[in-house]
Amino acid sequence: MGGQFSRLPLGPAPRRRTASQCQPEPPLLRTSKRTIYTAGRPPWYSETGAPVDEAFVIGLCGGSASGKTTVATRIIEALDVPWVVLLSMDSFYKVLDEGQQALAARSDYNFDHPDAFDFELLVSVLRKLKKGKSVKVPVYDFTTHSRRREWKTVYGANVIVFEGILAFANKELLKLLDMKVFVDTDSDIRLVRRLQRDIMERGRDIVGVIKQYQKFVKPAFEQYIEPTVQVADIVVPRGGENSVALDLIVQHVHSQLEKREITVRAALASAHQGQPLPKTLSVLENTPQVRGMHTIIRNKDTTRDEFIFYSKRLMRLLIEHALSFLPLKSVTVETPQGTMYEGKRFHRQRITGVSILRAGETMEQALTAVCKDIRLGKILIQTNLDTGEPELHYLRLPKEISEDYVILMDSTVSTGAAAMMAVRVLLDHDVQEDRIFLLSLLMAEMGVHSVAYAFPRVRIITTAVDKRINEEFHIIPGIGNFGDRYFGTDGPSAWCESDGMDC
Amino acid sequence: MRKSSRGDFVFSADRLIRLVVEEGLNQLPYTECTVTTPTGHKYEGVRFEKGNCGVSIMRSGEAMEQGLRDCCRSIRIGKILIQSDEETQRAKVYYAKFPPDIYRRKVLLMYPILSTGNTVIEAVKVLVEHGVQPSVTILLSLFSTPHNDSRPLPSLQSVIILLSLFSTPHGAKSIIQEFPEITILTTEVHPVAPTHFGQKYFGTD
Repeated sequence: MGGQFSRLPLGPAPRRRTASQCQPEPPLLRTSKRTIYTAGRPPWYSETGAPVDEAFVIGLCGGSASGKTTVATRIIEALDVPWVVLLSMDSFYKVLDEGQQALAARSDYNFDHPDAFDFELLVSVLRKLKKGKSVKVPVYDFTTHSRRREWKTVYGANVIVFEGILAFANKELLKLLDMKVFVDTDSDIRLVRRLQRDIMERGRDIVGVIKQYQKFVKPAFEQYIEPTVQVADIVVPRGGENSVALDLIVQHVHSQLEKREITVRAALASAHQGQPLPKTLSVLENTPQVRGMHTIIRNKDTTRDEFIFYSKRLMRLLIEHALSFLPLKSVTVETPQGTMYEGKRFHRQRITGVSILRAGETMEQALTAVCKDIRLGKILIQTNLDTGEPELHYLRLPKEISEDYVILMDSTVSTGAAAMMAVRVLLDHDVQEDRIFLLSLLMAEMGVHSVAYAFPRVRIITTAVDKRINEEFHIIPGIGNFGDRYFGTDGPSAWCESDGMDC
Repeated sequence: MRKSSRGDFVFSADRLIRLVVEEGLNQLPYTECTVTTPTGHKYEGVRFEKGNCGVSIMRSGEAMEQGLRDCCRSIRIGKILIQSDEETQRAKVYYAKFPPDIYRRKVLLMYPILSTGNTVIEAVKVLVEHGVQPSVTILLSLFSTPHNDSRPLPSLQSVIILLSLFSTPHGAKSIIQEFPEITILTTEVHPVAPTHFGQKYFGTD
């Protein structure tokens, strides 16, 4: 793909990583000017928490067997950026009734006509996905001509590649496409490929295939597909073999993405200094025991054993405190003595826990100890040490969380950049903002402000708020790197350290 | 609640016990101190003094031992077995075993359900016989009847802390009348005591 993009050498690169050494270096791309993307998804929202840019949508149109899928795959390979989604029109075929099924079995159903597609659903899915929301895409079963029960969840696209024979056939759809590519392959070649595919791979008989081609495929191409070449930005002759055209497309997408690079952390650092703390913040009562536990876990000379023990105790109190903010309903129950007791009960839907890896995971145990059978999700966000920005690397959330109360856990919050990304992810999954509780053992004032400014309805609950952070975004006086201290990944220590029996 | 399964009952009771234990520990004496954090800055904190111990009144008080252990891993725990005499209906001490130096320790006395208060009064008498001052005892209970909801803050003299889950007003009052210096911590004061606690927690109902 030419000299425009090249991978950084892995050897003497000046990158410093705190994560475990066995991880491979993330792919790092460099344009002629600067480094653009690594393995994680960089912020897609501004310091106000609102999404800034929509995903970049590439539309791929072309006749049946013209090589759209090959072109799509080549583009995705050459782009080499994370969070690319391939959306195929085939997923949006309409569900056939019995009569239509019979026609389809005799090769008498027109799958190439615009009426065969559910454009309404397609437009709404693509629109949501472009806005950065999590969407559900139907899975079409070509043997029963119906949708499977389980739909596929797609989320977090920076680039969407959308391909289909009628990709340009709908006005609403065209509005959503940022770049329109028409794959133009000679009709003889397409027929040959189609015969090959349907007979050899799909086991159909030659008479049926030819009949379908003449009756539906060819007329539909001439009537609906070929004319749409006029709206295309780029026409790619010869499909996936055309490396010059592919290079052009990839370069254009890269330059578009480069324009969209957002720097959140720097913007966070300068804003909201000296403001009063927000009303959504609740700090655990500073009892002597809470201060005592803070004294132990903040002390740099505390052994890991004690550090773990006391941070766990503190987490338990934090979670009990957080649960007191859930809405309660009065109930009357009968006691074993036969008298009535006026009590309270949590009456809403479920509570779901979501931890921000790695350090937030340490709070899961305290949560499950207090909420039985709670569902847990995980989000891995790491700081890119080159750009200083948080990046989303991994995401696993329980299904249908939009009605849930979500307890979002991170051990410490300094600038608030990672917490904001996690909240943004939850909002993209349609969780209601006032049902998100951000829990942390220790927060810096700046992080509290950043989160509260961007998401004024998210409840922020912590055991202590420290005033300052230093240039490396560490909380001062702080607690050190919580994850490193808890998991024991903080630099070399004496080998014969007294770990008791469990070393 | 009558219908709660034993699992739910134990789960909820353990959550309450943990909270009342944390509150009991807050009553213990501490001193100010300064530590250095890994970032090299100073943090003004507190340090708790040594010389505490737990005492559970068997059998239901033992349900609270794990909650105490979860917060203080190596704390010493003494036990007192008190049962009602079938003929006189008086609380009678059957057995008591304490750390040898209990007379100089601060005592967290654990008894989940405070009903008449007679059992606790007997237990404190035993502690006093072993040289503990009532003023250094904190009674932790889950339930208390309404008269004993006064929560005196710890002074240097109050070292018995009673931890209980429930208390009846009458029970708490009679304890305070007998030993005015004792600190009682409980999660609820209500006239009708859930006397089934021990059976339900240990599954012997």
